[in-house]
Amino acid sequence: MGAGEFAVEELSVYYGGVCAVQSVSFTVGAGQSLGVIGTNGAGKSSTLRALMGLVPRRSGTVRFDGKDLTGTKARDMVRHGIGYVPEGRQVFGGLSVEKNLLLGDYARRRNGETRQTLAEVYELFPVLGEMSGRLAGALSGGQQQMLSIGRALMCRPRLLLLDEPSMGLSPRLVDAILTVLLELRRKGLTMLLVEQNAKLTFEATNHCLVMENGAVAMTGAAADLRKDVRVRRVYLGL
Amino acid sequence: MQIFFQTLVGGLSLGAVYALVAMGFSLVYRTMGLVNFAHGNVVMIGAYVASTFYLTVTLPFIPAMLIALAVTGAIGLVIERVLRPLENKDFTLMLIGTIGFGIVLEALATLIWGATGRAVRNPVQAAPVELLGLRIRTYDLVVLAVAAAATVALVLFLQRTKRGAAMQAVAMNHEAATAVGIHVGRSNAVAFGIGASLAALAGSLAGPLLYVSPTMGGTLGIHGFAAMAIGGFGSIPGAIVGGLSIGVLGSYSAGHFEGYSELVTFLVFTVAIMIRPTGIFGETTVNRA
Repeated sequence: MGAGEFAVEELSVYYGGVCAVQSVSFTVGAGQSLGVIGTNGAGKSSTLRALMGLVPRRSGTVRFDGKDLTGTKARDMVRHGIGYVPEGRQVFGGLSVEKNLLLGDYARRRNGETRQTLAEVYELFPVLGEMSGRLAGALSGGQQQMLSIGRALMCRPRLLLLDEPSMGLSPRLVDAILTVLLELRRKGLTMLLVEQNAKLTFEATNHCLVMENGAVAMTGAAADLRKDVRVRRVYLGL
Repeated sequence: MQIFFQTLVGGLSLGAVYALVAMGFSLVYRTMGLVNFAHGNVVMIGAYVASTFYLTVTLPFIPAMLIALAVTGAIGLVIERVLRPLENKDFTLMLIGTIGFGIVLEALATLIWGATGRAVRNPVQAAPVELLGLRIRTYDLVVLAVAAAATVALVLFLQRTKRGAAMQAVAMNHEAATAVGIHVGRSNAVAFGIGASLAALAGSLAGPLLYVSPTMGGTLGIHGFAAMAIGGFGSIPGAIVGGLSIGVLGSYSAGHFEGYSELVTFLVFTVAIMIRPTGIFGETTVNRA
């Protein structure tokens, strides 16, 4: 297993007696980006939440950068270099934009690097810099999504997990998110992107996985999958 | 008019005590969405510990108060630790658990100190201050000053420290707080500990104003709870405004209705809550729906 590689094996999640995720396995190589697409209820978010440790796993192992993180608690994932952008943004609405970002750095010791990281995040999202003193709850949906991504970047992650960053955003804002994701990919950040928006996913990632009914239905290079007749019909509406 | 203002001033010190009780309730509520029903009884334990060290051990009032703060802070941590496993399993049971702790604390106080209660002599012997024709007891001024200092310290802690920011983050979003590496349980424990220390502060200050007895927890608890509700659940400014309002309201109704004063106070409270159910500074905090 290579350095910086993220590997999930045989992951299963049950809610009560109902199987939400069934034996899902995949690997994301260092600097690679993997997209997970599927319809509502296909098990994408459950997969992501389970590997973060936010919902209990029935079975499966999680490894990152040569370390077994299967038993690691959700609050400690960030200490292993894993940043998480939750579904529905989930910013701390009653705190200012800057406090939200600084909390993203909570797990690390404060030093000169914090200011530098903050400056980098503001460079990536200039709008956050302009609004740094505003309450996060007063931002628009798109700005909150940027804040949510910015907050996850504050811990200087080596792996970024994103849960539906395009949710509820206008096409123009989805494009803005795509630009950011491509920039992060260019910088060599390893990413796992869970999305209902197949078009965004195909453009943002180099490898994709299609989930149906909690299991992996198809897998392949993003460029190949977007040409697949069935994928085009079901997920791209073409 | 003279009587009007004198009554107002007379209610402020007890109002400040209610405000401290309400702040403890609010801190735990805003962090966990939990109403700690043992809070009033922790206030009572604080009053007993402070008065014991003040009267029996004959320490000066301030050190006696600090010991009470430490003792109840530890009790708060114990309550949180014992109830923690319930937080994500059955929140209602956790709520009932706090009621249980309240009963245990009251029984313990009766065992240790007896059921009869005690009067605490006023630690500030200075003559009342005359101001614009009003007589203000010096001890009332001390109570107000201590309550104000505690409020400032709490607000600074929440707004200026990393731990305080983390506690606010937990209050706003459990999952996002967990994802950035905040230990939610530890954050809750700090809220409980500080809340319980505020309880001791309220209890020890209330000692010379009221009569210290095992049942005072119920009285102070319900007034503090009403103060939080009227100020807005989980709001720190709301706790202060609510506490002072309930204190002043009690002072007026005691002057006019004597034996029925509590009834009148809570009737007014009920009407106020019916008009504005979210309280004065109704904030949205933890959503447990």
